[in-house]
Amino acid sequence: MMGNPQDELHKEKHAKYFVRFLKLLPARLSSHDSTRVTIAFFAVCGLDVLESLDLLSDETKKEIIDWVYSYQIVPSETGPKTGGFVGSSTLNITNSDANCGTHRYKWGHLAMTYTGIAILVTLGDDLSRLNRKAIVEGVAAVQRPDGSFSATVEGSEHDMRFVYCATAICAMIDEWGDVNKETLAQYIRNSLRYDYGVSQHFEMESHGGTTYCAIAALFLTDQLSILTTKEIEKIKRWLVFRQVDGFNGRPNKPVDTCYSFWIGATLKILDAFELTNYSENRSYVMSTQNIVVGGFGKWTGSSADPFHTYFSLCGLSFINERGLGKIMPSLNISMRAYNQLKERHKAWQLENNFDEVRLDID
Amino acid sequence: MSAGDWSSDEDLAPDYVPYSERREWADVTPLEQDDGQFPVVLIAYSEKFKDVYNYFRAILSKEEKSLRALELTKDALRLNAANYTVWQYRRDIIHALNLDLENELNYSEDVIIDNPKNYQVWHHRRVIVEWMNDASKELKLTEAVLMLDAKNYHAWQHRQWAIKTYNLFDDELVYVDRLISDDVRNNSAWNQRIFVLKHTGFTPEVLQREINYVMNRIRLVKNNESTWNFLRGVLQEGDGTLDQYPEVVEFCEELYASGVRTPFLMSFLIDMYEEKCLRSDCDSDGYDKEDLSKKVLEYCKLMATDYDKIREKYWNYVAGNFKSQWTKSQQNANKKSTENAEQEPLSAV
Repeated sequence: MMGNPQDELHKEKHAKYFVRFLKLLPARLSSHDSTRVTIAFFAVCGLDVLESLDLLSDETKKEIIDWVYSYQIVPSETGPKTGGFVGSSTLNITNSDANCGTHRYKWGHLAMTYTGIAILVTLGDDLSRLNRKAIVEGVAAVQRPDGSFSATVEGSEHDMRFVYCATAICAMIDEWGDVNKETLAQYIRNSLRYDYGVSQHFEMESHGGTTYCAIAALFLTDQLSILTTKEIEKIKRWLVFRQVDGFNGRPNKPVDTCYSFWIGATLKILDAFELTNYSENRSYVMSTQNIVVGGFGKWTGSSADPFHTYFSLCGLSFINERGLGKIMPSLNISMRAYNQLKERHKAWQLENNFDEVRLDID
Repeated sequence: MSAGDWSSDEDLAPDYVPYSERREWADVTPLEQDDGQFPVVLIAYSEKFKDVYNYFRAILSKEEKSLRALELTKDALRLNAANYTVWQYRRDIIHALNLDLENELNYSEDVIIDNPKNYQVWHHRRVIVEWMNDASKELKLTEAVLMLDAKNYHAWQHRQWAIKTYNLFDDELVYVDRLISDDVRNNSAWNQRIFVLKHTGFTPEVLQREINYVMNRIRLVKNNESTWNFLRGVLQEGDGTLDQYPEVVEFCEELYASGVRTPFLMSFLIDMYEEKCLRSDCDSDGYDKEDLSKKVLEYCKLMATDYDKIREKYWNYVAGNFKSQWTKSQQNANKKSTENAEQEPLSAV
């Protein structure tokens, strides 16, 4: 049964919905087998937005953290730079030795690395088991000469989605290594279109999701200033014109709840979100709420899924829905988790300074 | 395991025999997935899924590159077309055995038709085309996919790549024109039009032709963001100003005079008048800047209260921005004229 726009937010239902996804998926969702970490990301971060992480016991949280770490790939010093996280245990075999072929195909994937680290941050892990050196080398290794990024060292397309993942990873581990921020920014500029949205790749059509990726990446690399004030105003125009009641992702496409996040977050980063119409946005998102089993769909009447449920809740958080935590728009994690992460960065910086002092003495 | 366990799964052929029961696979020991002690987001894999992936893991661990392994990857991909490792391994087999790529092209087409929004199969297709160095089938394939969904982003991306890499621009405008005739609101098609023109060259003749082309489409459907954005896109290729073509200015003002108030026309007029007001040269084509500035503010207000209420706050913001820029430019203009007046006696000396 679908909700009415006037309905209240059924927080408990949504929280239970996420908890179910953390446990067991039915066989028909096997096509998500390679990206289980992203589903865990929606569920864990979704519970965080719902301020309901305490539904997970400390033991469960620890199990989830260990599970995420079990997907970390730490390559050998001499081999290809495959550091990062995989998204599933599909290639894991009991008692396999290091020469086993399955190991040669385990490559960190930027989207899995980003969502994996975000889960760790959200669950309050101290990140001490992250191999930050291997991760940042893995990120730099998949950057292309045109400034864009692939997902993996081999066999992957390269586009704006992975530009975003790369910057979010580096921002979270506070390491940029050999990532070339200049060519990255140039790639984004080269994908700014005539209507002032940003495309997934160069001359493709402007798209709400990739406009988010581009603007968030510029923000995270502290390079928003490559855009002139005039250009920023035109980008804002393209973004606010996405609103119909909810938001669409491209001109003349139907609205979809996930764009309440993609467009909303981009406007937040540009400090212009208050120019949108909150009540129409809310009505649309709430019309997709499933009040029986929990969750949100992309359209009114469509079935719920974790992706649209998470982004619907983030969209509602932006318009200050009661009972929801605040979102850090460029990293797509809660403000609470982000503040914790900043403390972690300070501690790392102190450690680094300490190491430098020691080196000086040597 | 009974036959009934399999029949419920529709992903594989009905006469599917588990790998564990196939004689030609008897030499391979299947390898179970190790999901760790406390798996999260556990998937209740079907028996078939487990069977196929147990053998895939076995093959991969030995890195066996054989025809039977190639067939196995097909089953693995049918169960999960998003598994990028399986796709990569499939390519590694094809490469190692130096297999016929034409067959692979046909196979990838079948998978694309079944999964037109799957990133991995489109990437696979691209690699095979690159290996063959032959993109002669790409336009037809993407047309087939776009026939079902004219805005499929993957198909457009593949098409643009093929056109750009293999210089297939020749007939693209004809195709784009057809799509625009089918649906004048197809933003992907308008974007493709800009893409083609940008590569074939925006000569003054092309600019003029495109201005007329898009004005004709706007006459048909006035409330269409895609056409108005395209018009702006073309004007950017000229001198960049919105009023560079008198016929465009006339066209817009006539639409307004005839009572059209679509937000796209209104915002075009607002931007155009704003540009004229703030331009430093004196040329205002017979317009009085003071009048124009009032028009900008009046139109913004109309948008906020009547024609684009959902963006009320936005139009108030635009009006506010304009007001402060207008005031500043007025002050600068005054300052300049005073300075000039002061300088005159000196230059006379």
